[in-house]
Amino acid sequence: MESTTDFYQLIDALKADSANSLGLFMPEITLCVFITLFLAVRLITNRIDLFWVALTGAVVGLISSNPLQLFGGSLQSEELFTGLLVHDGLTVAIRSILMLFLVLFLIFTKISGVPDKEDGADVYSLVFGSTLGMCLMASANHLLIVFMAIEMAGVPSYVLAGLIKGRKRGSESALKYAIYGAGAAGVMLYGISLLVGLAGTAHLPTMALSLAEIIPAAGLGEQAVLCLAAVMVAVGIAFKLSAVPFHFWAPDVFHGACAEVNAFLSVASKAAALALLLRLAVGLGSVPLNQIEPPQTISVQQETIQSGLSATQMVTFERDDVDVKSSTPVEKVAVEESTHADQEIAETMVEVDPRIEIKQVHDEALTPVRNFISLLVAFFAVVTATFGNLAAYGQKNIKRLLAYSTIAHAGYMMMAISPLMVMLGTNNQAAEEAASALIQYIVVYTFLNLGAFAIIAFLRNYVGSEEIEDYSGMVKSRPVLVISLALIFFSLVGLPPLSGFLGKFAIFASLADGYSSAGSSALLILLLAGGINTAISLFYYLGVIKTMVMGEPNDEHHFGDRPVGKLEMAYIVLVTIPTVFLIVCWQWVAGFADEAVKNFIS
Amino acid sequence: MLLIGTVSVSWYLAVGAVLFVLGAVCMATKRNLLGVLMGVELVLNGANMNFIAFGSKVLRPEGSLGLDGQLIALFVIVLAAAEAAVALAIALNFYNNHNTVDVDRANELNG
Repeated sequence: MESTTDFYQLIDALKADSANSLGLFMPEITLCVFITLFLAVRLITNRIDLFWVALTGAVVGLISSNPLQLFGGSLQSEELFTGLLVHDGLTVAIRSILMLFLVLFLIFTKISGVPDKEDGADVYSLVFGSTLGMCLMASANHLLIVFMAIEMAGVPSYVLAGLIKGRKRGSESALKYAIYGAGAAGVMLYGISLLVGLAGTAHLPTMALSLAEIIPAAGLGEQAVLCLAAVMVAVGIAFKLSAVPFHFWAPDVFHGACAEVNAFLSVASKAAALALLLRLAVGLGSVPLNQIEPPQTISVQQETIQSGLSATQMVTFERDDVDVKSSTPVEKVAVEESTHADQEIAETMVEVDPRIEIKQVHDEALTPVRNFISLLVAFFAVVTATFGNLAAYGQKNIKRLLAYSTIAHAGYMMMAISPLMVMLGTNNQAAEEAASALIQYIVVYTFLNLGAFAIIAFLRNYVGSEEIEDYSGMVKSRPVLVISLALIFFSLVGLPPLSGFLGKFAIFASLADGYSSAGSSALLILLLAGGINTAISLFYYLGVIKTMVMGEPNDEHHFGDRPVGKLEMAYIVLVTIPTVFLIVCWQWVAGFADEAVKNFIS
Repeated sequence: MLLIGTVSVSWYLAVGAVLFVLGAVCMATKRNLLGVLMGVELVLNGANMNFIAFGSKVLRPEGSLGLDGQLIALFVIVLAAAEAAVALAIALNFYNNHNTVDVDRANELNG
């Protein structure tokens, strides 16, 4: 009998938890509903253009993820579905960025004409499914969800890479992506299994707590297994970020897939993977305050609080009884008094929070974890940025060139994690600024790469080629496209006053901050590598622009007779505007990013 | 000695590690696409073995993952099926375009 009542209590608790969680899970639910809708409509008729349905879905998703709630200031970190997911500023911010990107992306695919009407249902459901996985990546709080989300984001992308049927290159790129992706996911899962087994839990905050207890006493063997597991998990994330040496898939997939899919892969998948990296790094590197149980008896004051608590609990039980019976006024007063006492006790708890001291001890114990993550990420970041930029030089195909540029940018963005981990625990304010720099870069980068791939897709529609030499001398016939592409490329280099400069500046500033506060030489190397890489990258972007502006038009390739359509022009201008004018309203972006990571480190 | 000793978590971990290594070797050396996919399955099952062993209350009364371990294993099985379905569809598409499932023939794009 005992166990049955326990069971019912459990179900009741879960009911309340799920009902509470579902409200905050609306954007994901919206995506699910629309995926089902696409498939259902597809069953009934083939003639409806699903673009409008998809656009509605994306807009509803954007509205329900409600980026404005960041500015309300009352957003607290909240665990959903018994701790599987977490809903905080970072979740809201990344989800909003993804949904905004989805809206822009859908409009882009409509204008550029890929997918056609027949493929619409399939492509939209794949894109929505992948976005769903990315939203989960941004809010994962449990290693099971980390793995599930990575797979949910990955598997539809494999299919998207081979979107255009009957093309040899498309099928090859899909194949390569699927094989590398499955391999990386398998290695990551094995790493997770080791990590989870050692820590005895898969819930990230609890895991940090148990790691803090294990690590000071860990023998050589346990340390080796922990390092191995961490590296294996890093393999999975590095694959998603296309970090060198797990970048092989990126140039091939970008070359073989169409420009629309490239835009999706290079922006959305990067943003989500970086959010996941941020979450894992901070989640394993520090113990959140709310995970620490207050000690039982430390001081007299503490004891009184404890006894006070139990007294109020008793009163609360009585209150339940009172509600059942008819309550007299006197009892009502007593009940009110008890709630007051409740609040007062809560206030004193905040004032003399004994958990902060324990948290410091735990965070101290986690120092090796933070150093390890910092060094690992620094290594990946330097190698990725340098290799990406150097390899971009020899590229003849514009999509391949942008693939390497994407790789290099993943390197720049990862750089922000390193100072974050160094400063975490000692200087949380500066650590939050580093996280905020990363979000700012993601916002900027979203528009940049979407714009670049949109222009490439439109040029493909006109010229029928994606080789850089075929673009030679194009500025005369397609001035708007070329100028927009030039602006975007200069912004990708990071030339002031374009938006790319601000994003890079934020990240380099946090590197300098970290170096001056912690004196870690790895950060200095990162900073130098970042600077040198920015200089290197200037030339290959300039090379493309030079070909377009200074080159002589080849006779055999004319640039099509069709003038640039109004819609295309409007779209290009729309996505290029943020590149140029973000500097004017930079405080909005910075404010958005700051609000997103506020309370992220507790 | 092996037969009379008590079975502990590490025995299962050893089996898991063997599966993982076999899978990794299979992925790296097989030239047939289907062989590579089998390697992926082996790797995933190696990890699953760990999850189940870590989740067992009998093998590990202290610090066991409990139901979490078994649930993760279930989810992974479902995911592995989904991934295999997609990968096989992509393999079929590749076969239609190239008339082979040899991964070395996927060499048109290189860089």
